[in-house]
Amino acid sequence: MVPITHFLYLAGILFLIGVVGVLARRNVLIVLMSIEIMLNAANLVLVAFSRAWGNLEGQVLVFLTIAIAAAEAAVGLAIVVSLFRARTGTDIDDLTVLRD
Amino acid sequence: MTGTEVVFWLAAVTAVLSALATITRRNPVVAAVCLVASFFAVAVVYVLLSATFLAAIQVLVYAGAIMVLFVFVVMVLDKDDSGEIRHAGPTRISRYGYNGAWMLLVGFLAWVLLGTWSRQYVTPGSSLDAQPDFGSAQSVGRELFYRYVFAFEAVSLLLLAAVIGAVVVARSRRERDDDASGLNARQRARNDAGLSAKGV
Repeated sequence: MVPITHFLYLAGILFLIGVVGVLARRNVLIVLMSIEIMLNAANLVLVAFSRAWGNLEGQVLVFLTIAIAAAEAAVGLAIVVSLFRARTGTDIDDLTVLRD
Repeated sequence: MTGTEVVFWLAAVTAVLSALATITRRNPVVAAVCLVASFFAVAVVYVLLSATFLAAIQVLVYAGAIMVLFVFVVMVLDKDDSGEIRHAGPTRISRYGYNGAWMLLVGFLAWVLLGTWSRQYVTPGSSLDAQPDFGSAQSVGRELFYRYVFAFEAVSLLLLAAVIGAVVVARSRRERDDDASGLNARQRARNDAGLSAKGV
């Protein structure tokens, strides 16, 4: 018997890893992967509570979240390819076009 | 420890370690493969939470679609973390492909074995007893297509918009300029269709 708090701890650790990846890494591809890890942690919380309450609506929400994550990955990677074409590279510290 | 606890701890440790490996690897291809290992482990946790349909979706969409997208972009870019262009020979790429395929195979086998095994020992993480079809494709689909059909259709529209947006954003500047000026557009269309300019 695994209590639900274990699943929440796991999701929290995964989310934390994703946050650290976004903040600490400079490669924009790794940053996108860290965002996927964070989305995964949120999904895990939804599924855990859905199971705990015996309510399927959380799983429906996770289904929609996965579809949105796919859309986000497609657009994000298109932006990466576009950045590379503009010869900016994949280092997010170099992406200062909108700030300057 | 019961079977459920063993499966949970194995999957949880795998998920955390491979997520850590994802954000610490220098090479994006290795990071992507570690990310897939993390997704597989989370899919095992979904099975423990009797969300079998979502576990299958997780493997299909994340490990299938998103991972392939990442690997293709990395291969197209062919740059490492320091921003230098690597002149990766076929031996290097094939070595990554070989290791990645092995890790994928082992991950998939572990997912199937742990999934079937945990189904036998499943003692869910709550005091409530789930219905036998809780989390199955049928029950989730019923919920999705009766009460959440509007959200479902809206997401399909969003996916269409995202695909079009991705194609527009990822086009090269030359293609955009050509289309904007209208010059060479017909020529390019003919070339794309495989027709030579002289023959037509």
